[in-house]
Amino acid sequence: MQEQLSLSRRQVLKGAGAAALTGAATLVPTGKAMAARGKAPRWAFIVDLRRCIGCRACTVACKAEFNVPIGAFRAAVYGEVTGVYPNSEMHFLPRLCNHCEGNKEDKVPPCVKECPEYPKDRREFVTSDGKKIRYRGGATYKRPDGLILFDNKLCTGCGKCIEACPYGARNFNKLLISGKDSTKNGITKCDFCQHRIEKGVAPSCVNICPGRARFFGDLNDPASKVSKLNKQFGLVDKRQETTLLPAENTVPMCFYIDDHGALSKIAAAKQKFEKNDAISDRII
Amino acid sequence: MNQTEMDENRTAAKHRSNIYGMLALVYRQEMTSDLLKHVKDPRFLGVLNDLETEKTEEIDAFFQKPESELLEDLAVEYTRLFLGPGKHISPHESVHHQRDDGQWGKLWGASTAEVKKLIESTGLTYSENFKGLPDHIAVELEFMQQLTLREELAWMDADMDAAVSCRQAEKNFIEEHLIPWIPDFCEKVIQQAELPFYRVLAALTHSFIEFERRR
Amino acid sequence: MKPEINRRDLFKLGIASAAILATGKAIGSSALAGTVDFVEGGKDFSPETGAERKMIPSACWNCVTRDSMIGFVEDGRLVKLEGHPNSIRGKGKICAKGAAGINQLYDPDRILYPMKRAGKRGEGKWKRISWDEALTDLAGRLKKLRDEGHPEKFMFHYGRMKASSSKIIKSVFLASYGTKTIGNHTSICEGAKWTGQELTWGKHYDNWDFDNTKMVVNFGSNCLEAHTNSIPVSQRLIDAVVDRKVKLFTFDVRISNTAAKSTEWVPVKPGTDRAVVLAMCKVIMDAGLYDKDFFNFIKATKNRKESTDAKIAALKKHLATFTPEWAEKISGVPAAKIKSIALEFAKTKPACVISYRGAVAHHHGADTERAVQMLAAITGNIDNPGGRCRGVGAKWKYPKGPKEKPKAKALKITHGFKGDIAYPTHGANHQVMKMIKDGKAGRPEIYMWYCYTPVYSHGEVQENIDVLKDESLIPFTVCVNAYYDESAALADLILPNPSYLEWWDWEDMVSPTQVPEYYIRQPFVKPLGESRDFKDVVCELADRMGFPLGFNSAEEFVKMSCEKTPVVKAAGGFEYMKKHGVYHDPNAKPKYYMYKKEVKTDDLKKEGVIFDTAAGVYWNWKKSKAKSEAEAKEKGYTKTKNAYKGYVGQEIEGKVYAGFKPDKVNKSGYFELYSELLEMKNFPALPSFTPIPSHEKMGPDDLILTSYKVAVHIHSRSANCKWLTEICHDNPAKINTKTARRLGIKSGDKIKIKSEIGEITTTADVTEGVVPGIVAISHHLGHWEYGRYASGNKVPMAGNDDPDLKLKTWSTHGVHPNWIMANKPDPISGQWAMLDNVVKVTRA
Repeated sequence: MQEQLSLSRRQVLKGAGAAALTGAATLVPTGKAMAARGKAPRWAFIVDLRRCIGCRACTVACKAEFNVPIGAFRAAVYGEVTGVYPNSEMHFLPRLCNHCEGNKEDKVPPCVKECPEYPKDRREFVTSDGKKIRYRGGATYKRPDGLILFDNKLCTGCGKCIEACPYGARNFNKLLISGKDSTKNGITKCDFCQHRIEKGVAPSCVNICPGRARFFGDLNDPASKVSKLNKQFGLVDKRQETTLLPAENTVPMCFYIDDHGALSKIAAAKQKFEKNDAISDRII
Repeated sequence: MNQTEMDENRTAAKHRSNIYGMLALVYRQEMTSDLLKHVKDPRFLGVLNDLETEKTEEIDAFFQKPESELLEDLAVEYTRLFLGPGKHISPHESVHHQRDDGQWGKLWGASTAEVKKLIESTGLTYSENFKGLPDHIAVELEFMQQLTLREELAWMDADMDAAVSCRQAEKNFIEEHLIPWIPDFCEKVIQQAELPFYRVLAALTHSFIEFERRR
Repeated sequence: MKPEINRRDLFKLGIASAAILATGKAIGSSALAGTVDFVEGGKDFSPETGAERKMIPSACWNCVTRDSMIGFVEDGRLVKLEGHPNSIRGKGKICAKGAAGINQLYDPDRILYPMKRAGKRGEGKWKRISWDEALTDLAGRLKKLRDEGHPEKFMFHYGRMKASSSKIIKSVFLASYGTKTIGNHTSICEGAKWTGQELTWGKHYDNWDFDNTKMVVNFGSNCLEAHTNSIPVSQRLIDAVVDRKVKLFTFDVRISNTAAKSTEWVPVKPGTDRAVVLAMCKVIMDAGLYDKDFFNFIKATKNRKESTDAKIAALKKHLATFTPEWAEKISGVPAAKIKSIALEFAKTKPACVISYRGAVAHHHGADTERAVQMLAAITGNIDNPGGRCRGVGAKWKYPKGPKEKPKAKALKITHGFKGDIAYPTHGANHQVMKMIKDGKAGRPEIYMWYCYTPVYSHGEVQENIDVLKDESLIPFTVCVNAYYDESAALADLILPNPSYLEWWDWEDMVSPTQVPEYYIRQPFVKPLGESRDFKDVVCELADRMGFPLGFNSAEEFVKMSCEKTPVVKAAGGFEYMKKHGVYHDPNAKPKYYMYKKEVKTDDLKKEGVIFDTAAGVYWNWKKSKAKSEAEAKEKGYTKTKNAYKGYVGQEIEGKVYAGFKPDKVNKSGYFELYSELLEMKNFPALPSFTPIPSHEKMGPDDLILTSYKVAVHIHSRSANCKWLTEICHDNPAKINTKTARRLGIKSGDKIKIKSEIGEITTTADVTEGVVPGIVAISHHLGHWEYGRYASGNKVPMAGNDDPDLKLKTWSTHGVHPNWIMANKPDPISGQWAMLDNVVKVTRA
């Protein structure tokens, strides 16, 4: 599968290279770890806000991984000064695609729901022990392991998924022509570094993060770091407090460990983080 | 194909090879005294004038200057246009070739890697003392010079297979590498040139590449 | 109009071209060799099977931290940089600046060929020249100065030059040439900190042992965003804070990222950290919470032989007036807070006090560092696990170059004006342009700069431009750079350096674990175009001048060093380092308490070693400038020039310890809180409080201008990285809400900021994140050269040759605060007191 040109073999190999050097390709659950269970992983991303130092290494690593054009971000960090001097605080909020599960009723996230090119072809997801799970492809679609992916070959460049995403996690890729309409652009969004995780290598932003504030892994694997953090902080159970814009009922799979109330403080400041605003990264 | 056709093809290939070679030479580096003598030769200036790339008088007047002054002015102009320091028009394909994958606008880009492989796949190698980047305009023109030279030989030997291979390779390189950037590059040079010489050269290059495209 | 070529034209042009080609051989050589041959050709270039990809370990250079990293090369192109997973320093991490380094490698605005000025200096007219021509010219000029007996008229001024780069260029090449007119940039960074340390514990650099600490108090360091050992240190600090619940208190004038992640940000008025530190020391001493054992190694009184009790009493007496209430008035920090932090710091063992530019880039900044050292010392947090430790880095052995080196000479223009500065141990190089203008200490004939920008990187920018541009002041200027910046524009000769991703080095930056790490930098790709590593260039320059260095390239130097350095050689030498990039001895123990080591009796009996009773120092007079033993004994250790070079050990109550070995000044082996050296120069011997003169004269509406760094930019040379500049391309002036209200300024207002030097216009950003009474501007931006992303300086239609440039969403490029900053030095250390500038801010 080649979702978009900028995400080709090249990066797949890069991931493999990193693994070769460390001699440890087990930064995230690999095929082996999944083999025993025979079901699809349930990928989750966790940001530990206590550990985020606002350094933007993730933002730049993501730019480098995908050559994301200027003006668009797949990952970004927000910084916000809250409170009144001398009791001021500053909070950081890394943002990326939430790879939402979708609401309880239909389990389809809004971006997929709005995509006019979904559902299309029938596809099969093969688990590590050979079990096949059927699903439908599309320009924007959800894979059985929870990844919300984008297939430019099918994209008409309509931009409906961008509008549908309450988190602003999708942007037009102004250097990518949409597959079905050469007058329009395709989109760019976080895919959890699909090409890396398939080789058992952590996503690029996780790999670089100096504060080790980012975690990626499989909630179906009780030994994974994300499962342990989930257990420790009750992230899934308390998703009303640990995910962004819970009222949107999109059921994000990106969780925040937030013991300073940063999410609510940033939301209250309301200057930078509003529904539908495209994610971007600015330091002033 | 009869002998006359083959001869015509051979002659065309020879001329094209010479023109590519001449252009490669002029873009490769600053004007030298030797080169200047030939550029000032009425045969060459005559061609330029025939092509009406520039007002005849302007070119003639330009070349009337004393040689040392001309060489100095042309060196400064060449540096300003193609080398910098600071803003300049980079004479490399990877900078200008607007690719669908967005992989352009930088030195040693995706196009550079392609050109290098393509050139090396034909049996040519980059000389050891060549210090430039593999997709410099002079290299690409020189590559075309070599391809057309090979084509000329093929016609001489009546080696139809080789001739066809050469033509195919030329066509591919023109379409996939020259056309996507050289016309655009030439227009930038025409806009930025302060002296007539490089303006004329760029116009000539553009015209020639268009001629090649039409062939 | 573009003419159309027809077949007839083709023939004519072909014939004319043939004539030109006939002379082609004389006009440079062709790029391609061989002939087209489809039979022998046919190399596969399919993107599916052809691409080769290599992983290469190397090291970053975008800041002085110099993290180990790995890069991936495909088709001869570097495609990505990541942290080196096996480095004990970086543990697989790099920062945004490191990851964006790739923007610099392939920057289409790069300089690829040597350039010679064609018009007037600064006019912007250039001619490409060959390396041969460039080096013939340069070597000729250099040799002439040398032959005339004035090698010192060649001034070499560097910004970043560390490890093997420093050894090759400075220790070998410049030393063999014979000039010591060598400038650095330390006075911009942290000269006061280093001088403060040299006066207390000797050799500079403090490693903060966050892996083992239980509490951290921070004065003016933003180590989570910037810092000289950023990535190794920041990840360990955040581990400590989150995993071990270590408390972190940050005193700063603004809420930096470090302040943001602290247990508490304690706002402090600019330049008053020392008052807080002194008050903390008083609280601790009065409460009896000092570490009595460590006092054995402390010199706190003029007479070193005083008992510990007498030392403690003397210190208490000295600190008597520095009450928390007094400090509150000066610093704005509540007395109760000072007390509680002080007591907690003293009771928590081990604890670490850290400091950086925010605290020291002031008048008497070196004394602030001394005060911080005092706080660490009295609580026993010196060179101990979890405390403030002496830096440990790799110790490479390397080829030293020609045996016979001339006695080097220097123009006295790198250490400030005569009599202005007591101990400028790291220079006062922000004053070089001023000194050249003055001329009394002489002027260089050739001024060359390397990884440095004399125009941009310190204050009084206009004066810098005026001096550098003036051929009557500096006859010949040479810039070594890969990019065309504001200073390169004023060069006579530009030597195109590659980016750091294309050159060799061995590296030695301090390890946060107190175990040295040996690592190297190796090229990911060959230098682009004709760019040439300056280290290779000096080898050729030396050859041309007739003093070959004994190696022909940086690569050879690194290779030889690998073979000469036993620990590296044992690991597998050069080949091992090329393959793995990093090495540390897995059995090495972390180095702590190095001062407690006793000196062998034999070492005290060596030829030339004498004992100085007053200082208690054993020293080898032959390594000093003393002409005879008698002279050495008469002048004594403290007053003999370069006596510190002969330091052997410190006598304390009958034992001789390695002690705190001096560097650069004749300090004893004690941890010197009481400094006779300062006393000799009429400064307080013990750390004290001195008001900042410019602040004393402030009017009610005056503000203090402060500058700082952000996480995504390098000092002055990252604005050409598009991924960084996209994130940070504007630096509005931050003003506290209350202050702004008083001045009638709102966020977004255009404002004028006026100092004694000049005026800039910028935009206001009213915030709760800075203390009242200041205006804070970050200092990476406001370029007027340095490429399309940094300055917007581009050729028309440039968008057509850069897809991202078309998408550039911003048109502001920031405002550089250095235009209006005075180049005043700290009179103790020579540190540029950059954070002391008083300004008036008004709506524009």
